[in-house]
Amino acid sequence: MTSRVPAPAGARRDVSSRVTLLIASLFALAGFLWPLVATAVPKDAQAAVPVLALALVPIAVVALTLTVDRQMHSATTVALLGMLTAVGAAVRIAGTGVGGLEAVFIVLILAGRAFGARFGFLLGMLVISLSSVLWGGIGPWTPFQIFACGWVAAGAGLLPRITARSQRTAMWLEVLMLAGYGILASYAFGLIMNLWFWPFAVGAGSDISYSAGAPLGQNLASFGLYSLVTSTLTWDTVRAVTTAVGILLVGPAALAALRRARIGSARHRRAPGATPRSTVPRGGGTRTHLSTARDEAEAPQTAQRPSARA
Amino acid sequence: MRLTRLAALRTAILVAVGFVVVRVLYRIVFGGADGPGMLLVDLPRLRLSGPFEHITLLGPVTSGGVALIAWGAVPFALVVLAFGLLAVVFDLRTLAARGAVRGPVRTVSRALVVAWAAVPALVGSVARVRTARRLRGERSAASLLVPVLEQSVERAIALGSAMEVRGFAATRRAEPDCERPATVHSASLGYDGSWSLVDVDFDVAPGTLTVVTGATGSGKSTILDALSGLFQHVAGGEQQGIVEVAGVSRALIPPRETAGFVGVVAQSVRLSFVAATVREELGFALANRGVAAIIVTARVEETARRLGIQHLLERSTAALSAGEACLVAIGAALIEHPVLLLVDEPLADLDDSARATVIALLDELAHQAGVAVVVAEHAIHGWGTRADVWLEVGDGTLIRRNGAELGRLNSDRSQARPAHHRPPPVGAAPIAEIRDLTVTHGDVVAVAGANLHLCGGEVVALRGRNGAGKSSLLLATALPTQRGAVFVDGCDVHAVGRRERPSYVALVPEQFDDLFFSTSVEAECRRADRRTTTGTTAQLFAELLDADPDRASDLASRHPRDLSAGERLCLALAIQLTARPRVLLIDEPSRGLDAAARALVGRAMVAAATRGAAVLMATHDEDFAATYSTRTIRMAAGRIEPVTVTS
Repeated sequence: MTSRVPAPAGARRDVSSRVTLLIASLFALAGFLWPLVATAVPKDAQAAVPVLALALVPIAVVALTLTVDRQMHSATTVALLGMLTAVGAAVRIAGTGVGGLEAVFIVLILAGRAFGARFGFLLGMLVISLSSVLWGGIGPWTPFQIFACGWVAAGAGLLPRITARSQRTAMWLEVLMLAGYGILASYAFGLIMNLWFWPFAVGAGSDISYSAGAPLGQNLASFGLYSLVTSTLTWDTVRAVTTAVGILLVGPAALAALRRARIGSARHRRAPGATPRSTVPRGGGTRTHLSTARDEAEAPQTAQRPSARA
Repeated sequence: MRLTRLAALRTAILVAVGFVVVRVLYRIVFGGADGPGMLLVDLPRLRLSGPFEHITLLGPVTSGGVALIAWGAVPFALVVLAFGLLAVVFDLRTLAARGAVRGPVRTVSRALVVAWAAVPALVGSVARVRTARRLRGERSAASLLVPVLEQSVERAIALGSAMEVRGFAATRRAEPDCERPATVHSASLGYDGSWSLVDVDFDVAPGTLTVVTGATGSGKSTILDALSGLFQHVAGGEQQGIVEVAGVSRALIPPRETAGFVGVVAQSVRLSFVAATVREELGFALANRGVAAIIVTARVEETARRLGIQHLLERSTAALSAGEACLVAIGAALIEHPVLLLVDEPLADLDDSARATVIALLDELAHQAGVAVVVAEHAIHGWGTRADVWLEVGDGTLIRRNGAELGRLNSDRSQARPAHHRPPPVGAAPIAEIRDLTVTHGDVVAVAGANLHLCGGEVVALRGRNGAGKSSLLLATALPTQRGAVFVDGCDVHAVGRRERPSYVALVPEQFDDLFFSTSVEAECRRADRRTTTGTTAQLFAELLDADPDRASDLASRHPRDLSAGERLCLALAIQLTARPRVLLIDEPSRGLDAAARALVGRAMVAAATRGAAVLMATHDEDFAATYSTRTIRMAAGRIEPVTVTS
């Protein structure tokens, strides 16, 4: 009698949750892109668009949290989420003092990679919430930051699996991919955060302002210049370099450390005399043990995720 | 708390003002601030070309223009202020604590509660890793983040298990059969189809105390985890045969559904605390199940009275001594009045008086309260006649023993001291000298004016109760904070540089895992070799292990934290011995080790002394000290007691 029970209900819920994630993300994206969307809205309604955008993103955050929350309700997930949130918030607060050196992306990307997209999204959300409360930086931008950071972490979880002939090559390929993703994510984060904030930052009526009636090309050009001058060349570049260098430096060891979580407790309990330990895929391998755990299908996805070390 | 929330409002005001200023600056850059009023500066206009031809940079700045722009920024600044006010009115921490118990966002809320509670541990973890880095002479950023992540993950695993066994996220509750606390019949346990324990057979009757014993890593914890269900449902182990607790099949029912009648005390109790205060910790299982607050309070107080820990109720779980932590963990496991209580190595961290308290408590629970108590323990002395059943794990199965058979095990004296090791002659010149060393932690004096001489070739045991100042003395000797306190070979250690210090004095801290920074034993050894010849550390490690070359090369590719406790301690010793220190300090080397591992570590210490180093170990393990030390020093309340005993 082995402890194996299939979980078809979990698989079904998995699909529906993916759909919810996608829809909520699209809504949030519309909130971010409002300055570009607004031109399509009738003139009379255009005044309401910024207000709507400011409301849309928090609503999407709440909707998404409500969906994902129940699926991730298991002791190990909650404990991991809590501990990594504390680490992430500490890194962010320690980083703010240095000015834009937001090393928090390193933690988000590595954890998103190790534990999957949904875990990553919640982690991004919690890290921003906790660090904002502790540091006092809550504002209309907080929901936008939550979503953008959630996307950054979730994106790392959605990157393709890496297979290579040797473990070592696979590990370095994965770390290189994550470092590249880190650079991309840093600039994308900067751009998208600028996009929604740009009309608020410069106000109406200047040359570079968002102009509701103007053609899309002109608005894009204004935005491009604004972004380039205010953040892309400075903050975003610093963030991209910090993230990429950080991932290259700590990536292999940190991923190994994180991936121990799934089977970590197994490690302590193993009897060395009777089992050849070397047969065990360390670092979150591809072992797919089944259990009766109710939330197995929704648990952090290390088990299914490719491992560089397996 | 109030203050920090008002601070949030102050930050919001600053940010709002900052926003207005930034808006004005941006507008001056993008086209100037022209308008009525006085002309402040007339910046030359710069017309751009190409796709940007509708944009002009800079321009004249007038007082009226600036005022208009600032006024335009006010609405958004007000929104910023409104968010600041929201942060003052709603306390996220209180909301999370409420949301963690019931409602639709329990995962996120509980994770926030965990995160909040984790902050002190995290600060402690960073401090410990910093110290470990200094002990190894390291400085890189990676050597800070990776160990902190590793410790956080380790804590998350312990925490997740602790929450699981106390009913976290349970949707059903199983019904117990109190007459049969545990039945295990021809059970096999293992991972990935390879069985580490086979043909396990035993029953646990109500009102009995069962001790499961065996060497470190033999599978004692596996047996306990198989009963708690953590093995099958959290660690990912496989089980065949019958394992039942209170009539419930362990293979089918996860730990969270049996939380009402199976109490579990984890091996590392401090890592497993889920709440910030002792009161919340004791009541966690009840509060988690939605029991009314007034009943939770009554039950918590009843349990605290029973264990004599009422005075600890309001204490933070982070501020408990090892003995107190053990009692609190037992109390938290007893809160649901379990049929079966599983306790994993409760004595490892405790001094003699705390050991006696815990043993007496478990005895009373079994024989007076009628709980079926199962304890995993490798040190069998102290249990004497209190245990009803002895089970020994060895060679992949479980054998029933009687207490007398086991008596000969676990004695360090059976592992004779190597004959060539002799204490140095009386009157030998000391190689290390500690002069009037004082250590204070805030207002508390941990070490008060310690004076000490150490000679090459001697192994000195530093003994004393928990909190006597032993660890503080060792740390201050390895990393002196004051000048003129620690001299090695006549050289003030305080003045020695980071790179050279390891060749004068090296410390293996109590939490020796802190010294590991790499992902494999091989890489760890290479890292330690950086200041000497390549291969030194690996060779030293193999020598300390006394292992055959096959075993040593098998270990090389493994993660340091995957080794057994004895092997890890030997690796830590090898790392710290690489620089050939004149003085080797070891904090609690025998803690949690079985007889074989203790002999391994003891021999390694003696080997270091034989090569001429002075070895000073802090220990409260009398047997170990008597076997390996050449001299004993006692400490109490921060002072070294004047009488020293030569063994």
